[in-house]
Amino acid sequence: MSEIKNNLVGTIQPAPMTLVQIRQELKGQKGKQFWRSVDELANTPEFQAAVEREFPGSPHSWGDDVSRRGFLKFMGASMALAGLAGCTKQPDEPIYPYVKQPEDLILGKPMYFATAHPFVTGAVPLLVKCDQFRPIKIDGNPEHPYNQGSSDPFTQATLLDLYDPDRSQHVTYRGENREWAEFAVELRDKVISTKDGSGIYFLSETITSPTLARQWGEVKKAYPKATLVQYDPAVAGTAASRGFDPQYSLSNADVIVSLDADFLSGAAFPGFHKLVRQYAERRKDPTKLNRLYAIESTPTTTGLKAEHRLGLRASEIPAFAAELAKTVGVKGVESPAYNWTGEQKKFLAALAKDLKAHEGKSVVIGGLYQDGLMAELVLGINYALSNAGQTVFLPVEGPIYPFFHTDQNANLKALVADLNAGKVDWLVILNANPVYNAPADLEFTAAFEKAKMTAHLGSHVDETGQVAQWHIPAAHFLESWSDARAYDGTVSIVQPMIDPLYGGKTAHHFLQALLDEPGLSPYETVRETWKSIIKGDFETGWRKALHAGWVEGTANERLENVRPNIAYQAIIPFQIPGGLGNFSIEVSVPVPSPKDSLEIIFRPDPNIYDGRWSNVGWLQELPKPVTNLSWDNAAIVSGATLTKYGLEEDDIVELSVQGRKVKAPVIVAPGHPDNSVTVHLGYGREFAGRVGSGAGFNAYLIRTAASPFYAVGSMKKVEGKWGLAVTKSHYQDHRPKLFGGQGNGNNSLEGNEAISERGIIRYATLAEFKANPGFANEGSGHEKTDKDNTMFPNWEYKDNAWGMSIDMNSCTGCNACIVGCYAENNIAVVGKQQVRIGRNMQWLRIDTYFEGDLASPRAHFQPMACQHCENAPCEQVCPVGATVHTPEGLNAMVYNRCVGTRYCSNNCPYKVRRFNFLLYSDFETESLKLMRNPDVTVRSRGVMEKCTYCVQRISAAKIEADKENRAIRDGEILTACQQACPASAISFGNINDKQSKVAKLQADGRSYQVLADLNTRPRTKYVAAVLNPNPELEVAPVEHKPAKG
Amino acid sequence: VRTSKKKDQARKERMAQIFDRSSNALARASLVLTGLIVIALGVTLDQLQRSPWVTRQGQRPDQPVPFSHKHHVQGLGVQCQYCHVTVETSSYAGIPPTKTCMNCHAQIWTNAQLLEPVRQSWATGQSLAWIKVHDLPDYVYFSHEIHVHKGIGCASCHGRVDQMPLMYAENTLQMEWCLDCHRNPAKNLRPTSEIYNNAWEKPSSDRPVWCAVGDEKRGVPTAESVNCVTKEPAENADEMSPLLGQIGIAPSKYIKFTSQDDLGRFLVVHYKIRTPNELASCEVCHR
Repeated sequence: MSEIKNNLVGTIQPAPMTLVQIRQELKGQKGKQFWRSVDELANTPEFQAAVEREFPGSPHSWGDDVSRRGFLKFMGASMALAGLAGCTKQPDEPIYPYVKQPEDLILGKPMYFATAHPFVTGAVPLLVKCDQFRPIKIDGNPEHPYNQGSSDPFTQATLLDLYDPDRSQHVTYRGENREWAEFAVELRDKVISTKDGSGIYFLSETITSPTLARQWGEVKKAYPKATLVQYDPAVAGTAASRGFDPQYSLSNADVIVSLDADFLSGAAFPGFHKLVRQYAERRKDPTKLNRLYAIESTPTTTGLKAEHRLGLRASEIPAFAAELAKTVGVKGVESPAYNWTGEQKKFLAALAKDLKAHEGKSVVIGGLYQDGLMAELVLGINYALSNAGQTVFLPVEGPIYPFFHTDQNANLKALVADLNAGKVDWLVILNANPVYNAPADLEFTAAFEKAKMTAHLGSHVDETGQVAQWHIPAAHFLESWSDARAYDGTVSIVQPMIDPLYGGKTAHHFLQALLDEPGLSPYETVRETWKSIIKGDFETGWRKALHAGWVEGTANERLENVRPNIAYQAIIPFQIPGGLGNFSIEVSVPVPSPKDSLEIIFRPDPNIYDGRWSNVGWLQELPKPVTNLSWDNAAIVSGATLTKYGLEEDDIVELSVQGRKVKAPVIVAPGHPDNSVTVHLGYGREFAGRVGSGAGFNAYLIRTAASPFYAVGSMKKVEGKWGLAVTKSHYQDHRPKLFGGQGNGNNSLEGNEAISERGIIRYATLAEFKANPGFANEGSGHEKTDKDNTMFPNWEYKDNAWGMSIDMNSCTGCNACIVGCYAENNIAVVGKQQVRIGRNMQWLRIDTYFEGDLASPRAHFQPMACQHCENAPCEQVCPVGATVHTPEGLNAMVYNRCVGTRYCSNNCPYKVRRFNFLLYSDFETESLKLMRNPDVTVRSRGVMEKCTYCVQRISAAKIEADKENRAIRDGEILTACQQACPASAISFGNINDKQSKVAKLQADGRSYQVLADLNTRPRTKYVAAVLNPNPELEVAPVEHKPAKG
Repeated sequence: VRTSKKKDQARKERMAQIFDRSSNALARASLVLTGLIVIALGVTLDQLQRSPWVTRQGQRPDQPVPFSHKHHVQGLGVQCQYCHVTVETSSYAGIPPTKTCMNCHAQIWTNAQLLEPVRQSWATGQSLAWIKVHDLPDYVYFSHEIHVHKGIGCASCHGRVDQMPLMYAENTLQMEWCLDCHRNPAKNLRPTSEIYNNAWEKPSSDRPVWCAVGDEKRGVPTAESVNCVTKEPAENADEMSPLLGQIGIAPSKYIKFTSQDDLGRFLVVHYKIRTPNELASCEVCHR
């Protein structure tokens, strides 16, 4: 039965890869070539069959096994019930007013509070929207100098993490419910009984809170032998975790080089928000373009966004960096003899020349997941290029409770040794999950059982919570008082938005329990820290810090005289005896692993990071950048490696490193280096919760403390198919010859028409742009729409006319907008099986168009949501008037009228409408009800939905403006995607107001409409990209031969 | 012959008429009747879903305390906003917290049996559980603030609350009722100075209204740009001069209105009420 069902449901199976076919496909093409997935390039019959259906497999698939007769029976019954339901009246609804209403609460109006999301790579300052004191939307703090209002997918999704129904709710001891006080007394008594703290061990996540650092300092004073170990699997072993945190400033950088640094795709890279903003600012004006080179070991949005990209295996990158350092004149670098290809040599030479031509105006950014010696090389190169003090700064942390920088892997190793030696009486784990994510070679789980007493503070009863004797529910950061440092050193006070839902505790409670005043609340504790630091009247200063979102004067000082401080010298032996220009380093780079060996690269997952957000449905369902994979991780390889191992996509392979093994599905990423596999950490959880448990495979099983970033291993095919959910082939339009397609069998809109006629992606190089600034709207396929060529009378928009502009040059494809949209618009999560049949509900998707060669592509990221066509094809076919146009030009969706014919979606050329095939929205779970945006309807089964341009925000602004008898100001309405975007790629406003930002952008010569030739007259316009390639490397990258072996 | 008679007999026995001739008429009548019944059923259902049984128009549910708006508003002269504090600032007008009741009832009627639930609530911290009288259909987003800022009085939707001993819904709150006004707001507009006046009546030749427009720059809140009075400004200049001086409009500038149509048209222009087309657009109330 299940086989038959699978056939009926017709998921988009990744088509068997035939590289020969793909190369053939590419060979015949001239000019710009775009493709969205490898399947599309190969254009196999399976792929064609899949795109021919609008929602893959929809005609036959109800998702359950109801026979035709059964279906009719149910329909009959539900029709009868529907008739009755029409006559029933609404039940009595009670009103529960306050007994004493908080003074400043206006019911129905949101309140905003500043706080921060404490994250390993630096806190993200926030402004949280609360409705009746329930946080309902998280966004960046617009006034904070670091992120200026932007956020990222992780930060956006922490909202769902707060309301996760699977969070732990009780203090337990060996599975029995207890009270926090019992635990606190037991811990305190034990610690006091040791006198000096010997045998007491704490294992914590990375500490970014100055107050926690202060508390630990006091604990250490009272109990000198107590031990604190920090461990975060995603940063353990990095130079950053040991204190190497150079501050890059991209505003003045004309040339940016990423040496395996993925600084454009998410908060996993320290300083992401600031770096993206500064990068994108320079991309908006073609006269100020910067140039990005990326040398990377796994394809990321950073690399695909770069003008020039070189895919190298992870172990080759330090060697390449050493060559680069030598070429730009860094002394004391020893690079290994290595057989670089002609292409690589050419790249290096051109890169070095370009860097030298931009001394003081370039920047080289080192990768997080590379050896410590890379940090040294990168500093060396930047110093040699006189970038220090210009684009690179070494911060001096202020005297106020600096970060503790420790060698996390070494400390964890020492802890395991102590555990095995029986020295550990109490092991208290603070928000860490080492049973799941400790390096495999430490055998942590076995050692853990040797502790005499274990306690676990965590938001979930996770893998560690299951085996710890005490478990204490942790408070979410939106429920607790704390403080945290951002990338630039600025400290934000973390203030609670809501009382702990389940009485959660924080690490502050734990450490305070050991001190003189054990009952002091975290609020008092945090105030205690700042009492001596905030200048002037404390209460005023404190209120100011809470209101603004940061404590004045806490930012790191910049080291203008380019002399690294003592802390740096401890990390890297860096000597500058004679100041700038007269320094030396001594680095000897090891030989890269043999070219035919297989390297396995470990990276935290772009969506769920190290596994901490496994149970956040928004992030699980979010298609990962580059691969568009959702709900799983995979062994990511290049096409050539796939062929070499005789694999097809979705096959299962066994990866092994030093005898440790794990089974993983295989997927191809364009541009992945050959003989190399990328695996993302964070999956394969056993006790994540209803969403995350069982998704993907656990890559920690083959990751060791000795080689945390990449290891040499092997891969072999095993039986079976995994069943990945990949969204890259979804939502492709199918148009036969009769309706304007070419009729050559290549049916997909993107593959066929983006290449030649339709110009979905339009871009030019700087030289081309200078020669012809109107390139985006000239030539064949770029015809203007004829407004009068329509059967329907044209409406004149007199007052407001809403429109959007998306800058293709700025968008880095980081996905922050999609998660922001989830939170704002109450979008449902559908689950892996539904994603597999193309039913994910995201209103906004990011289409990735690859260009050029399979082995070294460039990509164009195009956010695609409802285009709000003035001449909307969907409206013309709706039989019940459920989708209509408003006088301000919105394409509105009236859920109560929709009967679910799905004609509108059929007729939508952009494929941006989403249908509730099943009851996807959760109307039952209590905690999720608190999270919903009260201004947006939660959609039920059988209803079509789509982007509304955040109509609820437009309405709110209109009411406010009408009350004051004025026009809506430009910038008064921010859509959720626009607000989240760290690159400010999205602008929204009134296009009738010629002074508005969006009107100016839409009037720009580079603005174009997608599929304008259909005369849909979309309100969303895209600003065509202008690239700034190095003329010496300008020739389109040709496919290099697959590595031999 | 005999045989044929027998055959006839046999045929008759075999094919006895089931229906009488009169059945034809019955059949025709039943056809008509069926049609009528279907129509009647349709009309009934249609009426039913507009009836107070469904809309609860005019019904007075059992409330924890039989609160009398009549006594408090007409009798004591308590202002609407004393309890419904957020009517001008939020979509909800606001239901008063127990504290508001206790402001007075800690002093007067402190032992009244009727007020026992209020004292209970105050003592225990448990909310009073009122039954919603004006229960909008789901999926409608209504905003009090914009209505009271644009000249729709409380009584336009809620009726003469000052004459209701027990609260009930004056109107159906159904979509056709909303649209009726959104398509022609002029017939319900009143000066913003009269929003909370439940006894306000539409202007007539007996009760004219005089209105004048002051500073009408964009950015001036509506209520401040238009001034309306119910006494002849020129004749009552002495009495009104402090007010008129304050807003800077000469008595001669006032226009006299003797019908709601004229006043409505005037206020639509000067309150900058959006066009019927805009007001009746779906996204105004549904999101």
